[in-house]
Amino acid sequence: MGIRTALWEKWIDFKYSWGRITASAVISPLLYLIAFGFGLGSYADVDARPYIEFLVPGIIALSSMNTGYSSVAMTLNTQRLYEHSFDQIMISPTPLWQYIIGQAIGGALRGLYISVIVLILSFIFGVTLHLNMMFFAVIIINGMVFSSLGVLAAIIAKTHMDVSRFSTFVITPMTFLCNTFFSLDKLPAVLKTIISLLPLSCTSSILRSISYGEPFKAIELFVLIIYLAVFLGAAYLYTLKKKKI
Amino acid sequence: MIEIIDLCKQFSGKTVVDHVNLNIENGEFLSLLGPNGAGKTTLINMMTTLLLPDAGKILIDGEEVSREKKSVKKKLSIISQEYSLRNDFTVLDIMEQHGRLYNIPKAKRREKTAEVLELCGLSEAKNKTVRQLSGGMKRKLMLCRALITEPEYLILDEPTVGLDPMSRRQIWSVLYKLNEKGMTILLTTHYIEEAQYLSKKVALINKGKIKTVASPDELIRSIGNFTVDIFHDGEIDSHHFMGKEDALAYIAQAKGRTTLRETNLEDVFIAFAGKGMTDGHKDSTLGKVD
Repeated sequence: MGIRTALWEKWIDFKYSWGRITASAVISPLLYLIAFGFGLGSYADVDARPYIEFLVPGIIALSSMNTGYSSVAMTLNTQRLYEHSFDQIMISPTPLWQYIIGQAIGGALRGLYISVIVLILSFIFGVTLHLNMMFFAVIIINGMVFSSLGVLAAIIAKTHMDVSRFSTFVITPMTFLCNTFFSLDKLPAVLKTIISLLPLSCTSSILRSISYGEPFKAIELFVLIIYLAVFLGAAYLYTLKKKKI
Repeated sequence: MIEIIDLCKQFSGKTVVDHVNLNIENGEFLSLLGPNGAGKTTLINMMTTLLLPDAGKILIDGEEVSREKKSVKKKLSIISQEYSLRNDFTVLDIMEQHGRLYNIPKAKRREKTAEVLELCGLSEAKNKTVRQLSGGMKRKLMLCRALITEPEYLILDEPTVGLDPMSRRQIWSVLYKLNEKGMTILLTTHYIEEAQYLSKKVALINKGKIKTVASPDELIRSIGNFTVDIFHDGEIDSHHFMGKEDALAYIAQAKGRTTLRETNLEDVFIAFAGKGMTDGHKDSTLGKVD
């Protein structure tokens, strides 16, 4: 019941402000597509393919990350610290673990929605990608990973600014470093190993492999699932611990 | 029945709830009165499992309250001091969300929502967002939300704070009817007349300890049925008397402007809060009984 309740809440959030949600989530990917894909990217090829084909899976990965994280972290933090409406969820008979999973799925679906819009924009711009069910499943898993991280950030944060700071120090570096805008092959070996283990690197890599019509590395999907389990578990434990500030 | 047994809570080494023992019988309306920082909200937060006690326990119908026990949680509803409402949700959304959190079937949710919104006079505002509601309407919505689950025990933490007299009385009226129908209610309030009007019993709490539990009439009798206020140098000095004759005799020899009136619960509260409770007087010293 908790999962469905959280999903219903996310739907209500979306229903009332879908225009604002869509516009604000699409603007960055659109700028990346134009500036990096068609501007700078027109001068370069990566993996013997046009740069834009390399770029689009990375932009989709980071869009689902950003949307998943922010849609959960900001809303939940406001509910907890300012509206105090999160107290009602905690004192209700709804199991918290169900509610947290519901939040993660809700954030992931929001991420999928934005990713599909980015895909449509890419097709309009003439980019061709191989798509299959696994492509969309990985977007959902990636969205869940970062929505769970959003729950964790919302619960740990003592102020609304802390959520933004968390984004500045965790989400923004990943946006630019994690196999999104450039290939990790050119990085020093140690740095490459560290960055390739980050969740967004795994997602970008899997989505890129699928979009090229190539097999992806199963280990990357495994790493992503491990992150999901760890973030969900940590979010649940911290929520229990933080039951009252 | 709610049984609070030897309950303790500390924050950073400071005792906020100190070995509290309190029983609330089924169908009772008990008000918890005490000055700011007395431990009222902490006590309520432990009852709702938002806080865990350091020692002691709370039993509801013999079952210990814990975060995992759905059966106990379903019996309780709380109205907190803060509005605790999603600002961007409509009145109907708030009710729907709460019904879902308590796993109330869809048809029942709709039926109860219509019923409690009607009871609290919010039916016409059902499509307004919380942001569009006045303070009084938000408080009523919180009451509606608490009632959709048909709780056996209703806990209210300063439910009418900041409301105009009209809205406050509307909420009193609803609470009175609910208690008449058998709902057990625990209320914390700063409005003494609220406690006097609604409560069958009053518990006075200070520095985390329950000082006394009695009916409003018993508490009033404990300090004296009549009160003489003497106004001098911009201050009011109140003296309490068991009999009217004693009070009149006192007025005859008093200097300054005096008034004679019946003692009310506010006098008891002031006697506790202003004298016995904050100055560390003995519990039995309830103001000046002449």
